[in-house]
Amino acid sequence: MTDVRAPQAGSGNAPAGPAAPAGETDTPPARPEPGAFGVVAWARWGWRQLTSMRIALVLLFLLALGSVPGSLLPQQGVDPAAVQQYYTAHPALAPFLNALGLFNVFGAPWFAAIYLLLFISLAGCVLPRTFRLARSARALPPQAPRHLSRLPNSVRYETDMTAGDASAAAAALLSRRHFRLNQGEGWLSAEKGYRREVGNLLFHIALMGVLVSVGVGGLFGYKADRLLVEGTSFADTVTDLDAYHPGHFVSPADLAPFSLTLDKFSASYIASGPDRNQPASFDAHLSYTAQPGGPVRSYNLQVNHPLSVDSTKVYLIGHGYAPVFRVTDGRGKVVYDQATPFLPADQSTYLSEGVVKAPDAKPQQLGFAGVFLPTAVDVNGQLQSAFPAAYEPAVSMIPYAGNLGLNSGVAQSVYQLNTGAMHRLATSAQVLAPGQSMKLPDGAGTLTFTGYRQWISIQVTYDPGQVPALISGIVALIGLVLSFLVRRRRIFVRAYRGDSGRTVVDVGGLARSDVGGGFEAEFAELAADLRSVHDGADSGAGRPPDAAAPGEAGPRAAPAGGDDSQPAPVTVTTPGHGDHDSSPRSEETG
Amino acid sequence: MPVFPPSSAVRRAVAAAVTAVVGVLTVAACGGQIAANTPASSGVNFVSGNGNSAYFTAGSRAAAPAISGATLSGARLSLSSYRGKVVVINFWGSWCAPCRSEAATLEVLSEQYQPKGVQFVGVDIRDSLASAEAFVQNHAISYPSLNDPADEIALAFRGTVPPAAIPSTLVIDRNGRIAGRVIGQASYSSLGSILAKVTAGA
Amino acid sequence: MRPVSDNLGLAQLSDHLLIIAVVIYSLAMLAYAGDFAYGRRRAAATAAGKTARPVPELAGVGASSGAGTPETPETPETPETPETPSAAVPPATAGPAAGGAERLGPLIRGAIGLTYLGLAVHLAGVVTRGVAVHRVPWGDMYEFVTALTCVTVVFFVALMMRYRAWHLGVFVMGAVVAALGLAQTVIYTPAGPLVPALKSYWLAIHVAAMTLSVGIFFVAAVLGVVYLFTERYTRRVAAGRSPANHGIMRRLPGAEELDRLTYRTVVFGFPVWTFGIIAGAIWADQAWGRYWGWDPVETWAFITWVVYACFLHARATAGWRGRRAAYIQLIGFACLLFNVLVVQTFVTGLHSYSGLG
Repeated sequence: MTDVRAPQAGSGNAPAGPAAPAGETDTPPARPEPGAFGVVAWARWGWRQLTSMRIALVLLFLLALGSVPGSLLPQQGVDPAAVQQYYTAHPALAPFLNALGLFNVFGAPWFAAIYLLLFISLAGCVLPRTFRLARSARALPPQAPRHLSRLPNSVRYETDMTAGDASAAAAALLSRRHFRLNQGEGWLSAEKGYRREVGNLLFHIALMGVLVSVGVGGLFGYKADRLLVEGTSFADTVTDLDAYHPGHFVSPADLAPFSLTLDKFSASYIASGPDRNQPASFDAHLSYTAQPGGPVRSYNLQVNHPLSVDSTKVYLIGHGYAPVFRVTDGRGKVVYDQATPFLPADQSTYLSEGVVKAPDAKPQQLGFAGVFLPTAVDVNGQLQSAFPAAYEPAVSMIPYAGNLGLNSGVAQSVYQLNTGAMHRLATSAQVLAPGQSMKLPDGAGTLTFTGYRQWISIQVTYDPGQVPALISGIVALIGLVLSFLVRRRRIFVRAYRGDSGRTVVDVGGLARSDVGGGFEAEFAELAADLRSVHDGADSGAGRPPDAAAPGEAGPRAAPAGGDDSQPAPVTVTTPGHGDHDSSPRSEETG
Repeated sequence: MPVFPPSSAVRRAVAAAVTAVVGVLTVAACGGQIAANTPASSGVNFVSGNGNSAYFTAGSRAAAPAISGATLSGARLSLSSYRGKVVVINFWGSWCAPCRSEAATLEVLSEQYQPKGVQFVGVDIRDSLASAEAFVQNHAISYPSLNDPADEIALAFRGTVPPAAIPSTLVIDRNGRIAGRVIGQASYSSLGSILAKVTAGA
Repeated sequence: MRPVSDNLGLAQLSDHLLIIAVVIYSLAMLAYAGDFAYGRRRAAATAAGKTARPVPELAGVGASSGAGTPETPETPETPETPETPSAAVPPATAGPAAGGAERLGPLIRGAIGLTYLGLAVHLAGVVTRGVAVHRVPWGDMYEFVTALTCVTVVFFVALMMRYRAWHLGVFVMGAVVAALGLAQTVIYTPAGPLVPALKSYWLAIHVAAMTLSVGIFFVAAVLGVVYLFTERYTRRVAAGRSPANHGIMRRLPGAEELDRLTYRTVVFGFPVWTFGIIAGAIWADQAWGRYWGWDPVETWAFITWVVYACFLHARATAGWRGRRAAYIQLIGFACLLFNVLVVQTFVTGLHSYSGLG
């Protein structure tokens, strides 16, 4: 990024005028002098490339482009099952995509490289500018150029006031408008709009803050899942979690020591109308303690209402049914008697699927796989669920006997039965209502469906970077708005004795960051006000001024006097206050 | 605004600041789970370890918390009643495949070291009584197990040596201090070597 | 919690009102188009204050390009603004009212009237839908599109109150009619309550911000397309060729003016979009347990944000202004459309609340 350059005194013109805001022009990187192609020279050239606006554009575009496959292809982190499906559907293409890292885009090294380079570019641009801003915070605007008519906006008129009075009056008006002033022999410079750079830098620094916050959250935070059946308790330890994803610097001792019990879960569904079967509300009634032995509090956990314990949050993610089974084995011993979570296979009717595993049944291990129907109806001989609420709960399970595979030590999914080493028992499919039993053939045992309970799935999250990320986001927004609303501009006034004996007043204006235009309007208004001040009691409206027409402004096409669509920071004062007092030169705290 | 070429001091400051920012960003991006999604649960529904073990020398052992509760048969049991013995606490569940796999090893070690004053105590978590009792019967587990459906015992170890997986095994010396642990399935050699050292008075 | 039953009569009224609004907008579009074809040339009508200076925004492209036009540039009358003292200052800058109170022909006045009328009916349709379902009227895709097109028309009208380039109305009306037509047919969802995950005050905040910003970006996109045509016309005229669409072009604002309008519009919408993303992140944290999870809709919102950021940077980079920046802006809007229409509907993720599934 090029340095912010001041208009040279005497040249009377900024390098590029309002069409090319001086602070942001992209200049080609400096060529190393011939013979100086050392490592340092290359490094400097590379650094200048990296921190140039052009490269920032390219990197931004690459970032957007790189995110596209992450949203269209199944991602490993979000839905591994979908990734597996993709492999089976596209056997030739999938390994190739995997090699490119397209199934985990946002954790892929090339994606990290893009945003890291972008933020290095950002840091390399923003930090020097911050230093520069800090040092120039009190700097005065430069001397007014000699030929104000060469500026993109200028006006010349005559007044009866003396040159000194005219200057003083102009200074008073401009300082009332919160310009920072600098005065000299016959000239006056005023500048305003320093806040724009502040806003700009604030925005970009806040973006870096967001990145750092996300990183901190990832390193020092953790996420965990747990499925909890009504009536059971959960303690926040690794042994009690279904899934645990700690950050790099998180150890099991860092988990907040709370415990909670799911007392009751209630869900209501819409019974009629076009939205039948849609859920209307979920309520999970919990009691929890923040530490072991602490006071027991209750909380109604809902979607959009997480529980917050010691800056760890517990979210309600899902729910389902857990039918209660009792399995009696061949010896007549009860080997299983608990609520078994089933996963909903159909979101609108909550028909759920699950398995029961009784590995300690004798003489053979027993397993059952089947469905739970909250409101079971018989439709043309096929069993279906008509409604997600449990008005007519029923189960239908298929029995297996053999080796479940649990003794091998390899963990299995609790929702799936591996029937490879099992045989299906010869019994017809039976639909069981609560209280009913299914007797297994050959005295292998009995399965009783005793009732049902509901379960919730909760997510425990600790993210120390969450609040900093939010604050950074808000600061970025403030900086953004500030940088858009405020324009950096300079006004110059020269008053001197003209040929006719009257004082000639030259007013010139320059917008240093007028990418959106609109400075002409503000300048015109300011010039009109200055003129009114200088005319004092005269009604100068009828005097045709010696105009430096905007056509002089140069080769640009229509100086489209676009109206200021942004609220002009300059307050409009009614003209005509002939204020001849010279007010002390004020310094703008921009 | 007059622009003066930055003095070398300022240039150094800027360079240092940029380097610091770059360093922080790189660490943030590479070290953590930044921008990556947490993998979805695979249905296994518990956190299993890899079986690695640790032994703590006599000077660096943390004191074990006071543990008490009801056993599977309903009797009250407290750790303090075993003061003077080496206590092996094993966290298990009948539904947990690695726990089933290590059960035989634990029973062998329990019988082998019992004459040397070692007491095994199981902590059964997330299990129903029926399943747990069936498990104990089938594997002929001779030592008692505490029934802890709310997992309070693991919580009690939080400040010292938390059991970080299922199964986990903690070895507590005769003075009530935690001498070793195995996170994950215990093997004869991993747990046996800890027991050998502790019973030898190391 | 007993769900409050929806007022189906009001919902039907809302549907009817929106269909009527589509009809009125179509008529307005015809009137705008008619003015292109049949509007009187007003160059001869006003002769006051003739200077050869470049004219303000309402002037035809031919005048502003300075390349020599076959017609006298239209000079604006300034009936209501006594405060423009110096002719040196471009007259249009003295205030909004002076921005070009060009004498508008009856066709275009009718078009403007129809625009206002259509907007009133459109607003009524959106509001009645909200009353019918007892919540803010942007809970599913259909409501979202009807609400954002309302924002588009409001923003366009507000913009025209300052810039008075009413002839742009034909394009904006056309786009709005197309969007509303899509809403009424393909995307239509009957009035109904929200799923529990959407029952949060964040719905009003996050989706409102998205509605506002998409409505504003819609205007910017239309202006961007017109700009591309205008810029091409200007280039051709400057090259000495005489293109065929001169009649239309001379009524539209100049290329630079359009470029500036587009930029201002994007500048207005970009902070709102940013706020919408932040609000969405806060809500996502409450509902889904994390503030950013690369959900497809989140990802595409991020992509859109980055492309619009590209646009803002491009306009400050030499060599990337003008046409290239306009292309970037249109790519950004294309991403936005893709996000709203395709990703939310067809790509499964947590954002699947379109009501169409």
